[in-house]
Amino acid sequence: MLFNSLTFVVFFLVVLAAYWTMRSWEARKNLLLVASYIFYGAWNPPFAALLFATTALDFYLGRKMGKLQEPRERRLWLIISVAVNLSMLGFFKYGNFLLENFQWVLARGGIQYKPPHLDVFLPIGISFYTFHSLSYTLDIYRGVMRPTRSLRDFTLAVSFFPQLVAGPIVRAGDFLPQLDAPPKNEKGRFLWGLALMTLGLFEKVVLADTMLSGAADRVFDHGGPLVALDSWTGVMAFAGQIFFDFAGYSTCAIGAALCLGFHLKDNFRFPYAAIGFSDFWRRWHISLSTFLRDYLYIPLGGNRLGAARAMVNLIIVMFIGGLWHGAAWTFVVWGLLHGSYLAIERLIKALVKEKPWTEHFGVKLLIGLTTYLAVLIAWVYFRAANFEVASRMIGGMFGRHPTGDAILSTREILQVAIVTVFLLAAHWALRDISLETAVVRLPRWTVTTIWFLMACAIILTQGNSNAFIYFQF
Amino acid sequence: MHSSTSSFKREIPSLPWRGITVTVAVGVLVAVAAWEVYCRSLGYEPTLNDTDDLWAEARRHVEPESVVIIGDSRAWFDSDLDELERGLGRRPVQLALPGAGPYPVLEDLASEERFHGTVICSVVPGLFFAPAGPPMQRPSGAVKRFHGQTWAQRISHQISVPIERSFAFLKQEDLTMAALLLELPIPDRPNAQVPPRTPPYFCSIDRERRARMFEQAARPGPLQEKIKGRWLRLFTPPPPPSFVPPDIFAANVKEAIEARFKNTKAAIEKLRARGGKIVFVRFPMTGPLKEHEDKFTPRAQTWEPLLQATGTPGIYFEDFPELLSFNCPEWSHLSAGDSVEFTKRLVPHLRKALQL
Repeated sequence: MLFNSLTFVVFFLVVLAAYWTMRSWEARKNLLLVASYIFYGAWNPPFAALLFATTALDFYLGRKMGKLQEPRERRLWLIISVAVNLSMLGFFKYGNFLLENFQWVLARGGIQYKPPHLDVFLPIGISFYTFHSLSYTLDIYRGVMRPTRSLRDFTLAVSFFPQLVAGPIVRAGDFLPQLDAPPKNEKGRFLWGLALMTLGLFEKVVLADTMLSGAADRVFDHGGPLVALDSWTGVMAFAGQIFFDFAGYSTCAIGAALCLGFHLKDNFRFPYAAIGFSDFWRRWHISLSTFLRDYLYIPLGGNRLGAARAMVNLIIVMFIGGLWHGAAWTFVVWGLLHGSYLAIERLIKALVKEKPWTEHFGVKLLIGLTTYLAVLIAWVYFRAANFEVASRMIGGMFGRHPTGDAILSTREILQVAIVTVFLLAAHWALRDISLETAVVRLPRWTVTTIWFLMACAIILTQGNSNAFIYFQF
Repeated sequence: MHSSTSSFKREIPSLPWRGITVTVAVGVLVAVAAWEVYCRSLGYEPTLNDTDDLWAEARRHVEPESVVIIGDSRAWFDSDLDELERGLGRRPVQLALPGAGPYPVLEDLASEERFHGTVICSVVPGLFFAPAGPPMQRPSGAVKRFHGQTWAQRISHQISVPIERSFAFLKQEDLTMAALLLELPIPDRPNAQVPPRTPPYFCSIDRERRARMFEQAARPGPLQEKIKGRWLRLFTPPPPPSFVPPDIFAANVKEAIEARFKNTKAAIEKLRARGGKIVFVRFPMTGPLKEHEDKFTPRAQTWEPLLQATGTPGIYFEDFPELLSFNCPEWSHLSAGDSVEFTKRLVPHLRKALQL
């Protein structure tokens, strides 16, 4: 069920009405659990059983671990949890990728082998709910939390419909405490939730789908070389599209959760105003970057084992981060590029240290724009269907195809330019504050007008139900 | 008891949210009402959108012995379902799609083991032999939606039907923000390879996907001129891509056309092996568009070889005076009234071709 669909509108209204009229907290939680499974099952009902199976297994393993004191024994159960979850993810998401690469390796050795194509259907959101569930056993193992006694509560924490299929990756440790007692009354929470849902939908259906996706698709799907203007426009369009698409989903999720009385953390914090790459990853897909930091980077040694090892760790983490996004080497290159950016940044920081001139706004802006430029280059590999397209795009961006094709209309170029300028200006204006602080600072009539215009624009687009990009991950 | 790792609370901006929400809700209602009135003043009326979900709904009505219409917008506009039902004894299922070639749908029907009905297939050579691009994307997308439609999509469709029947502004071809942006008069770079624009909205569609030309398009006027103005560019083959040598491109096109012949023949044979029947129909076109099509896709190089290669009966409107006498107001389709009369006259030819 997509947030930008009529089915969701009706579903959400029914859930809200039932939820807020029920008095029993247990009944409300049961309702949310059933609603979440309906939300998920509306795509492909059998996969709801898979979701429940992995959840129940982690619940059981968490309880096992919670009863043990001996670290070695606890580790055994953790290994089982990690192995089962990642195997599931590996089979559905990476099965064919692994077979193709195995075939390639054998062919290099002169062995011709044609593996059968696994005709598997990727369960939607598997990368997200696997991490929701894994965070529970990992946190119990780390001693950060104790296991819950309620399978129902844990199942709801993993499957809570606003964040189920495309994040944010909400850790069980952040969500389970909110299930202990019904939410207290908070003035404005429900309506602010609705306002956030409007903002999220506006980002998705108006900015990502209507204003940017057309140019990005045409440029990346073009079969030949493009001139620099079209190449850059296409990449900037995709950079905006993926931000508005994914941040829009997260904002909708946060808003929907607020309407039900739950608090989810931010997943984006104006990332295109990042000054440096570590800053970028503190602002982009925060729930994934903190997940990888806490459960991978730090266990690998983090920056405790010297500068060289820290850089290697960064590259390993970003390699995994790239692969998490999709079963293709282009995603791996995207991850490795970001890993290299982070490593180079660490090196430069070690050389420059904290010199006073680095605090000058002009310097910060320059670093910020350099960061944006490097992020754009990495997006090429993320979006391109293969390396041929990616290298053609990079060539076009840096003027290697002066006689290439010009395929974008002036209207498309203007749309991308206007939205990109608006996006960068908004991110720079808000980079040091939260959205909530910005809203409080605005006059009431401005907030009203912005909300009104966003709602009208959503209606005018007539929501054509394009799937969110991150569903495929 | 859970051991909390977080007692996170989001900040709720301290503003008079109730007043703001009421103002926004009232404002949106007024704006929507005003937009609806404006759209109606332009001549728009409530009608369904021809979405992949509506197509999938029609596709679900295909029974083993159904009569099915496939192909492009000419079959969509020009076929009257009542007349066909009267003449053929079965109410046809309308699966033709505007701007689409029939092959993906034909292949889908041929692959459906239980189907052994009758296929009326419209042929517009420029669309029929298109190897890729929109003429293939639209039908492929519709077929994909039919096979992969989720419950959520089906429910959304059911909810959208009464809403689309009530509001004129819910017209996806013309009145979405994307469509309105397309109409902005912004000149393009002289060398820009911008795809041709499709004509504006000019038909109403019912639940069975029967398309009827909008009265405003059937009579001379600005809408009709606008539609005519877009056909010629739309039906002109695009220039060969700059990044493929011309001889290789020509060879690729030839190969793609041969493959279409071969695949169409294979699909028809599969259908016939189960007792199914098929007839090709060339629906009317007039004016400069006819001259244009005759020039770029001459009958001798498209229609005739297709009938010959597939051993399929065909009805070419030009061959029969009673079918030739119709005028297409915007050169490509019949008016709603003429489509009924045309279908009535087409039925005997269909019966003969299908040996009914």
